[in-house]
Amino acid sequence: MTTKERTPNLIGSSPRRVDVFEKASGSAIFTDDLQFGRGLLYARVKRSSLPHALIRSINLEKARALKGVKAIATGEDFPNRVGLYLKDKHIFARDRVRFVGEPIAAVAAVSEQIAEQAVDLIEVEYEPLPAYFHSEDAVKKDAILIHPDLDEYETANFIFPKGGTNISNHFKVRKGDPDKIWEACAQVVQRKYYVPHVQHVPIETHVAVAQADRTGKVTLWASSQSPFAQRGLVAKALGLSPNQIRIIANYVGGGFGCKAGLTMEALPIALALKTNGRPVKLRLTREEEFFTNFVRQALVIEIKLGCDANGNMLAMQNTMYWDGGASTEYGVNITRAGGYSSTGPYDIPHVKTDSYCVYTNNTIGGPYRGFGMSELHTGIEQCVDELADAIGMDKVDFRLKNIVQEGDILATGMKMHPTGIDRCVRKAAKAIRWGQKTAAGAANKRRGKGIALMWKAPAMPPNPGSSATVKLNEDGTILLGVGGQEIGQGAFTVAAQIAAAELGVPMDTIRVTGPVDTDYSPYEWQTVASRITWSMGNAVRAAAADAKQQILAIAAKAWDEKAEDLQLVDGVVVSRRTEREIPLKDFAVYGIPNEDFSGWTGGPIYGRGKFMPDYVTGLDPETGQGERAVVHYTTGAQAYEVEIDVETGKMEILHAVSAFDCGKAINPDLVKAQMEGGLIQGISSAVFERMIFKDGHMLNPSFVDYRIATTMDLPDKITSIIVEEPQDDGPWGARGIGEHPMVPTIAALGNAIYDAVGIRMEGPPFTAEKIYLHMKDQAAQKE
Amino acid sequence: MEKLAITLTVNGSEEELLVPPNLTLLHLLREELALTGTKNGCEAGECGACTVLLDGEPVNSCIVLAAECEGKHVETIEGLAERVGMRKLQEAFMALNAIQCGFCTPGMLISAYALLQRNPAPDELEIREALVGNLCRCTGYDRIIGAVQQASREEEPA
Amino acid sequence: MNQPYPRLPGFKYFRPDSTREAVEFLSEHANQSRPYIGGTDCFVQIRDRKFLPEYLVDLKGVAAYHRLSFSKEGLLIGAAVPMNTVANHPEIRARYPVLVEAIREVGGYQLRTRATVTGNLCNASPGGDTIGPCLVYGTEALVAGSDGERTVPLTEFFKGPGKTCLEPSEIVTALRLPFPPKGAQGVYRSIGRNKLGDLAIAAVTVLGYPETDNPSGFAFKISLSAVAPTVIFAEEAQALLAEEALNRAAIERASDLCARACKPIDDIRSSAEYRRDMIRVLARQGLEETCKKLGIVI
Repeated sequence: MTTKERTPNLIGSSPRRVDVFEKASGSAIFTDDLQFGRGLLYARVKRSSLPHALIRSINLEKARALKGVKAIATGEDFPNRVGLYLKDKHIFARDRVRFVGEPIAAVAAVSEQIAEQAVDLIEVEYEPLPAYFHSEDAVKKDAILIHPDLDEYETANFIFPKGGTNISNHFKVRKGDPDKIWEACAQVVQRKYYVPHVQHVPIETHVAVAQADRTGKVTLWASSQSPFAQRGLVAKALGLSPNQIRIIANYVGGGFGCKAGLTMEALPIALALKTNGRPVKLRLTREEEFFTNFVRQALVIEIKLGCDANGNMLAMQNTMYWDGGASTEYGVNITRAGGYSSTGPYDIPHVKTDSYCVYTNNTIGGPYRGFGMSELHTGIEQCVDELADAIGMDKVDFRLKNIVQEGDILATGMKMHPTGIDRCVRKAAKAIRWGQKTAAGAANKRRGKGIALMWKAPAMPPNPGSSATVKLNEDGTILLGVGGQEIGQGAFTVAAQIAAAELGVPMDTIRVTGPVDTDYSPYEWQTVASRITWSMGNAVRAAAADAKQQILAIAAKAWDEKAEDLQLVDGVVVSRRTEREIPLKDFAVYGIPNEDFSGWTGGPIYGRGKFMPDYVTGLDPETGQGERAVVHYTTGAQAYEVEIDVETGKMEILHAVSAFDCGKAINPDLVKAQMEGGLIQGISSAVFERMIFKDGHMLNPSFVDYRIATTMDLPDKITSIIVEEPQDDGPWGARGIGEHPMVPTIAALGNAIYDAVGIRMEGPPFTAEKIYLHMKDQAAQKE
Repeated sequence: MEKLAITLTVNGSEEELLVPPNLTLLHLLREELALTGTKNGCEAGECGACTVLLDGEPVNSCIVLAAECEGKHVETIEGLAERVGMRKLQEAFMALNAIQCGFCTPGMLISAYALLQRNPAPDELEIREALVGNLCRCTGYDRIIGAVQQASREEEPA
Repeated sequence: MNQPYPRLPGFKYFRPDSTREAVEFLSEHANQSRPYIGGTDCFVQIRDRKFLPEYLVDLKGVAAYHRLSFSKEGLLIGAAVPMNTVANHPEIRARYPVLVEAIREVGGYQLRTRATVTGNLCNASPGGDTIGPCLVYGTEALVAGSDGERTVPLTEFFKGPGKTCLEPSEIVTALRLPFPPKGAQGVYRSIGRNKLGDLAIAAVTVLGYPETDNPSGFAFKISLSAVAPTVIFAEEAQALLAEEALNRAAIERASDLCARACKPIDDIRSSAEYRRDMIRVLARQGLEETCKKLGIVI
């Protein structure tokens, strides 16, 4: 058997998605579609109406007395703290509340209406405490502590909370010595940017149904990106073994990170433990989805960047205050990721980064598509633009001069692997016709172009595993078991493609078994971090290879041949030597009878595979240095041409170009679909979106006043370019692409706006009003 | 709350139900009839995930009372599946990868179907306008618009 | 903080089949009942617990309210006629294009299957899209109540944000729009946060028509939306355009007067400054376009 890698036809082609018929017909099951019968109870949650307060008392009497109420749960029932990277959260607030919307109690009743009435009857006495809504306030020397017991919290060993402060993680990079270099810089630019809170806005809100049976087993049906991680977190919260918990995750109607980790799912579980076996459902309203669960952290980022007279970047100082909100059990890792990637995709010899995760009394910051990278690059890429101007270099040339290349030592000391970022930049610049000014459409319009680059590594603990199973049915068809979730990105389709390609069977003989069920599906860390095609893809490939090896071994034994002379092609085992053939369906479960039926060879075939990176190293807590901080970086570029109406500030996007290096596009059309979807979500976050808070209350928790992009808000033209620089340990060279297409958008548009009308804003959203008023201010100052 | 007796036709089939006055058409479909293809995205008439046809016209079922549907005809994604016009749309959506998470899809298809019923050859702007009340967070909309254009041009599927 | 509520609260549902029945019920249950038609504003407000009526009175059961007809005097739009029906009617599109333009701005198509022009007026938002056009077209509201029927010119209908002149037992049964003056042309120009489908941050409605009695030869009606407690007329601007020769300078000054006439506020949607400036821009654009349609060379 040849050892040369020959890419089978399926890899790099775009077969139809395996889930689209279900979804187009309306028969795809989402968690709220499951039918539980008349026994189902409905949960509603009593939530804090204050951003920071001690709880003096909780009176449940009237609520308990309401007819139809079956159970009430409070913090009394759950003393354990929970959290993924830092255990700082209680399922229900116990002695104090830390944000508006925090769960204080939950009620299970025979209808949502009765549950809601009961919630209104729960009386809570608060003693208000001073509250903080800006990270810069919460880090001040005499700030009240939002988590006075921070020192006692259990934490992952790569997170460094500062007890006695509101800082739950401080990630440092110290490479070289920027302070000694500033004088050597020909130009230095120092800027501060504010990136506001936004929310993921999945069209399907969070929903979970929990049931606890008399053996002590808990079953949870949830719209979840992370059934296995949730199982682990629930186990820790309840003091159970994962063996006693089963999580079933149906299709997810949009996740974008908000359905990772354990959030509202804990609430129906808490109730289910008290309802004698009756299942309990909690579905968040749209309003609750906006502010009670997960949001993207706000960021204050201050960057100082210097280069020499030839435009070589010499030094960067980057200080980031991440508004982690009331609990940063997940957010601490965003701080870390922002820290180790804090240079952006540039080779900078001297780096000083301080990335702080700060407690505030805002909504809980959590994983959001990009995991800190959008916020980070909003600062970096606008700063880079300004430095290019200062040094008098073209903005594309300046970037090309400084981008990372294979072999560069990154800020953490890691050596950069091969990357196609150079091609991404050049192709994006070419597609947008960089350098060519086009005339505006009318006297009141101005045109401009902007570009921004990005990089991102999957932000994970060092040991996130994937596994997969390949089960053959008696007719030769295959059940492919995975633990990664189909959240819309096409994970199931790509898994089927990979399995079919590796095995040598037609893709339509493979069915990916869903829903993901922790009792039956193989383990997967989480469907986050753009890691599924790469990590789960590797596991699927390994499982398929394992199955193929078993298949060929059976045929080889039956034919008395060598396995290396046999191939599996289109579901048929073929001997290259003798040209003998046998289709899988003739022996996949029952085996092959020996000559004269004197026995049998074979039996059920069950392939298994796994993948877990084993090379990520820790980083020095003082310097952020380590041999291998991350598994790999996906890089890319986006460029825009915009036209701004100076009378109204309205911005039309004439052309949007994306170019990303995904290593190997297993399914190119799905890669482009991610690029387009991410682009629009990026534009939406750049132009429209902002959670508006007053004293910790969100003023716009509905679609009426939290605007997102609609069919009418799209660029006139979109170009999506796939660049492929293979990843050494990805399936056929693939690495992730899911998050990246929304990362450079804010900065690129900020740069385009500057090119068009010469204004810089301190942060997004770049609404028409903001653009208009800034131009008005600028004109007034000139007079 | 005293319940009301109503009779309505859902996907061509007559249904007699006893419903509380505050039950919306959305919840009637999903909970009384287990027709879960119609989705709940905001319950405020903003996102369009709950779009169904009421007497042939698209509505946000989350802000229609079941009680108002006495004697009316409701068609959901499940019921429209047999219509040629809907099959063409579904085929175009699938072929062009205009579906990712799938949650907005039923509402999107119904709005598109209603558009092509009243305007068989819409231009791009007309399609965009007709779908402005259907929010999608995954696809970026372009492929959806392309799918509607393709469906409006296609011959009947085999 | 408003506790976010799923579903509608409990209420009783009553569906009268005549005006008399409706008015009697509303008088008997004054302050406990809420009449509604499309429900697109009403249900959202009820779900938010802005009010908790014991009775919801569905006016769609009255056959007369579904009438949409032309007479010698003009157009009659029954209270229950949905916006889509109004906007798709060929004769309405020909005679009242400014109203049709405004309807296009309301939500999405499926919302307008249910939303009504009458409902939009009765909701009395300071920025309701159809209010400006209805005002410039000289609309009258036909009102029925326990004291009988009356006709209320729309100029007297609005009392403040969300407030109309209607008594608790009163409902609007229809809107009467006289035929626009001969040769009338106009536009509805609004600006929202999205390109379409958002509520109006600021909006201007212009209707211009030949008027030989005026020195300029034309008369203009200009209404401003979302920049005062109710939709208002820009009276000084209207006066200027009646008196002076119509040219770019006059339009600029009229637009300035529009900006000065409004009393916008800062809220989470927009700032007073932006609203005021946009009124100036929208007024100018609206006047330029209307003049062009009228054949006036400026």
